[in-house]
Amino acid sequence: MRYLSTIIGGAICGALCFGIWPEMWKSYGIMGGWITATIVIGICWYMNHWMGVIWNRPGTIWVDQGWAVAAAGIAWAMVRFNSQFRHALPAIFCCLLGGALAGVVAVPIKKHLAVARSSQCSAAEEHTHV
Amino acid sequence: MYEFLSHSIDWLGMSPASVITTVFGAFCVTFVVIICWGRLVEDFGAIGGMLAAGFIIGTFWLLNHKLPGFGINPEGIAHPEGGTKQFGLVYQSFRGASPWVDMGTAIGFGLWVAGLCEAARGQRFKLAVESLPRVGAAILGGVIGGVITGLVGWTGANLFGYQ
Repeated sequence: MRYLSTIIGGAICGALCFGIWPEMWKSYGIMGGWITATIVIGICWYMNHWMGVIWNRPGTIWVDQGWAVAAAGIAWAMVRFNSQFRHALPAIFCCLLGGALAGVVAVPIKKHLAVARSSQCSAAEEHTHV
Repeated sequence: MYEFLSHSIDWLGMSPASVITTVFGAFCVTFVVIICWGRLVEDFGAIGGMLAAGFIIGTFWLLNHKLPGFGINPEGIAHPEGGTKQFGLVYQSFRGASPWVDMGTAIGFGLWVAGLCEAARGQRFKLAVESLPRVGAAILGGVIGGVITGLVGWTGANLFGYQ
């Protein structure tokens, strides 16, 4: 059941992104693309991750709707424009490389920031006690 | 140097400069999502998530995916060499003939890697195996949605201007 809801959530997110985004860009340009991000990603995030339509349990690795958007972009362009999957591979590889680098780098930085924030809070508390 | 960077490698379909911009664009958006999105949701709840969608994804869409042209003139400004050029950081290889590569690829994989890095050392393999079917389901859903949306190009009714 949770797999079914994950599939449905991904399908809706992918269809919304690639049904709406190009049209909004063509109609309203840069502002259209920005507004589409707010509307489409906002509502898809609300459904998929705030309500939890895409299955994520605490303590497990996060599955993001980005996977669905990525797959939908490739499938959409292959069906609509007859483009070949192998042509996308170099860019996909570069994206994966950049994403993995960011993941590896961001985790220790985030931990460091969290430690800094908590120590700051405790210091402020001590200050108020004094 | 400039010639080397902008020289398109045939088998790759990208120039070294495109490789640099793509990796950098993917890195930036994933880093910001990992650092900021969770904290925004903690601080502002669902509104924070909506804000994050607009500010992070909207702004990085501009950086990574904007297409040539101004506003309502999407066919673009012709480059002096003729044709239009892409200005987004995430390069669509083979001069735009490749299927659309979205920064969602980078975000999804980056969050997956971040989850893997946060996990305790002994549990990583187990967690990765556990998450794979869910990733597969998300990808399957995306493929279904994308294929059906793409069908519109073939099945849409002819409205204007057809003989």
